[in-house]
Amino acid sequence: MRCLLAVTYSGIYMKNLYQQQFSSVDAVEQQFARVDYIASRQIATTIYLAYNLQKPVLVEGPAGVGKTELAKSLAQLIDVPLIRLQCYEGLDESKALYEWKYGKQLLYTQLLKDKLAEMMSGVDGLAASIERLHAHDDLFFSTHFLEPRPLYQALHQEAGCVLLIDEIDKADPEFEAFLLEVLSDFQVSVPEIGTVQAKVKPLVILTSNNTRELSDALKRRCLHLHIPFPDAPLERLILERRVPGLAARLNHELVAFIQAVRLMDLKKQPSVSETIDWAHTLLLLNAEHLDLEMVRDTLNIFLKFEDDIANAKEQLPGLISTAQQAARHAGHA
Amino acid sequence: MRATLEDLFKALRGSGLDVALNAQIDASRAVALVGWADRDLLKSALRTTLVKALPDHAVFDDCFERFFSFSAFRQLRPSPAVQLAQLAPSAVSPAPTFGTYGQGGNGASGLAAMVFSGDSAALAKRLKEAARQIGLTDIWVFSQKGYYIQKLQRQMGLEALDREIAEVSRQTPTAPQVVELRQVRQRVFEEVRNFVEQQLALYGTAPTRQLHDDFLQTQKLAHIERRDFQRMHEIVRRIAKRLAERHARRNRRQLRGQLDFRKTLRRNATYGGVMFETFWRSEVVDRPRVIAICDVSGSVRAYARFLLLFLYSLNELVSDIRSFAFTNHLVDVSPTFASMPVEQAVDKIIGAVGGRGTDYGQMFLDVLTQVLPKVDRKTTVLILGDARNNHGDAQVGVLNLLHQRSRRVVWLNPESRLLWGQGDSEMKRYLPFCHIARECSSLKQLERVLDDLLRTHGNG
Repeated sequence: MRCLLAVTYSGIYMKNLYQQQFSSVDAVEQQFARVDYIASRQIATTIYLAYNLQKPVLVEGPAGVGKTELAKSLAQLIDVPLIRLQCYEGLDESKALYEWKYGKQLLYTQLLKDKLAEMMSGVDGLAASIERLHAHDDLFFSTHFLEPRPLYQALHQEAGCVLLIDEIDKADPEFEAFLLEVLSDFQVSVPEIGTVQAKVKPLVILTSNNTRELSDALKRRCLHLHIPFPDAPLERLILERRVPGLAARLNHELVAFIQAVRLMDLKKQPSVSETIDWAHTLLLLNAEHLDLEMVRDTLNIFLKFEDDIANAKEQLPGLISTAQQAARHAGHA
Repeated sequence: MRATLEDLFKALRGSGLDVALNAQIDASRAVALVGWADRDLLKSALRTTLVKALPDHAVFDDCFERFFSFSAFRQLRPSPAVQLAQLAPSAVSPAPTFGTYGQGGNGASGLAAMVFSGDSAALAKRLKEAARQIGLTDIWVFSQKGYYIQKLQRQMGLEALDREIAEVSRQTPTAPQVVELRQVRQRVFEEVRNFVEQQLALYGTAPTRQLHDDFLQTQKLAHIERRDFQRMHEIVRRIAKRLAERHARRNRRQLRGQLDFRKTLRRNATYGGVMFETFWRSEVVDRPRVIAICDVSGSVRAYARFLLLFLYSLNELVSDIRSFAFTNHLVDVSPTFASMPVEQAVDKIIGAVGGRGTDYGQMFLDVLTQVLPKVDRKTTVLILGDARNNHGDAQVGVLNLLHQRSRRVVWLNPESRLLWGQGDSEMKRYLPFCHIARECSSLKQLERVLDDLLRTHGNG
């Protein structure tokens, strides 16, 4: 079996390197917990399968639920570099894959003028000069003059890496099409040099905020993972991990409060990262439980629109009392 | 197990999910990894490999639950006679006779014995096996129900059971076991019918829907009924999306082109010929501009809904499009499209703009003031209407101006070409000033026309 794999693909599979961390779904879940990322069952299953099936993962979900964090934690978990490609409109091959250092090339031709003259001495006629020049011109299109961009770098990692292609929905459809080739074969061809193949196939995570519909071709090549806002118990766990020192009662109240706010009709719902920020703030302010004054003053940490803040302020007493009740029910009197 | 997975894929397709072949391969590899034991794990593994978009998650969950819940023969209890026989074998006389039905193990007697002993697992297994043998998953319309019920019953051995009942009742017509056996037969029939109905719900929806869609696409727009509006909207949306995707790419060329060597040399002359700065040839991005004018008057009312539907979908997808509607005055409907969901928007426009007394002349006069200043040689003007002007002034001159100034004037007429120019139709007079004029009465035609239109737009 091993040799059969070697025939179909000459590089090393990442699969053989980190089998220990990915032996089962439970193992993946525990490993994530070790690096302080609370992964739901769905997330753990997807990552487990992505690793074992050698498939990229397309992660979707509202902003701030830890899509990017997932890739970071994954890299930390197996201790490989994280290579990040941030997508934006107009992103093209030369910024994602490689580019020639034109300036350097031109500069070198100028600086080496003398050398060139020296090289050319003793040659008669134009044709012969060009002939001699041709013997050397490959130098200028060698790896010395190649500016590696994230995708190219990702193919050159000795121990594999996690390649994060962030906000793929922001890139143009053309770039998406280009990506298909890289994602399926993990090799790229640089016309002047030849085909470059991945030393170790990287683990690829793509994230999308759904600003536009991605092409079916890309979706077909990926496993699909949707991360929703976490439910209350999961969010409490996340806070426990991310904000050490937060009292259990405050944690309960805070999560119940945020969950209630998410049910309101808002322009932008508070994300998990904003919940964490808020918890840090409350911790700094030495809060032991939610009180009206303090919440009102710190609303702007998790609500980012004036309308939303005004809306929330109106309903503040009700929200706080429901949060306190929820905490009381859970046994934090 | 492979057959089970294949049935699941079929059921998912039945629910309207698009399951690609390589997703199926992934799914079976994933199942091989995680196993069948943990239901939740199985579900999340299948979900992550098969479902590619958020709205489909709910569809998948529902289908998964329905597929793996198997309720046939669930409430089966051992019949009272058997229970009695178990309590006191010698006390009850009919018990030994039931025993004889159980002897065979196969065939009808086996079936009866299974029901009598309440062995629901064995019955369910038999039902499933029979279903697989007759290919029940191919069911797709409700009228096939009877056929499949019959086939399934025969496969399970009900015919033999019938013979047995006949035999027993011929010998001793009043025997209590005849009643019992009839009850068993009825019981099995009901379970089989329920099962077939379930399977129809699971597998039958997709082919029927496809048939319906095909029908709607080729049918004349005027003949389509109001209740299909929702379905039509989905189809139109899909078509509009396909068109927009196919043609948007053409117009968005790469912003950065090749090295502009001449410019680079010239600019770097200041550095004594050392080329520090590079310059790039860039291409101009050409975006199509479309101005659509739609007739919503009484004479084309049946079409207007769908034309507006199409315009609405295009509005969602094409960046630079202005839409107008008219009966006798031109009204800009782009804001309405932008602010309302489709059905409301279409209703509102037809309510506010639609009516009697089409006046193409007045419309063209409005065009002269409202639209013409916005038209340049990149603009495509799209007119949807039957050109029936109630014998008024046709204002052909304005169309001539549009013809000269725009890149292209396209007229889509829902009437057959043979009727153009008949009665109060001014189509023959407008015709010379249209770059393209086509008949367009069904969705298929509409799609083809627009596809041609956008293609020539890209090249021209």
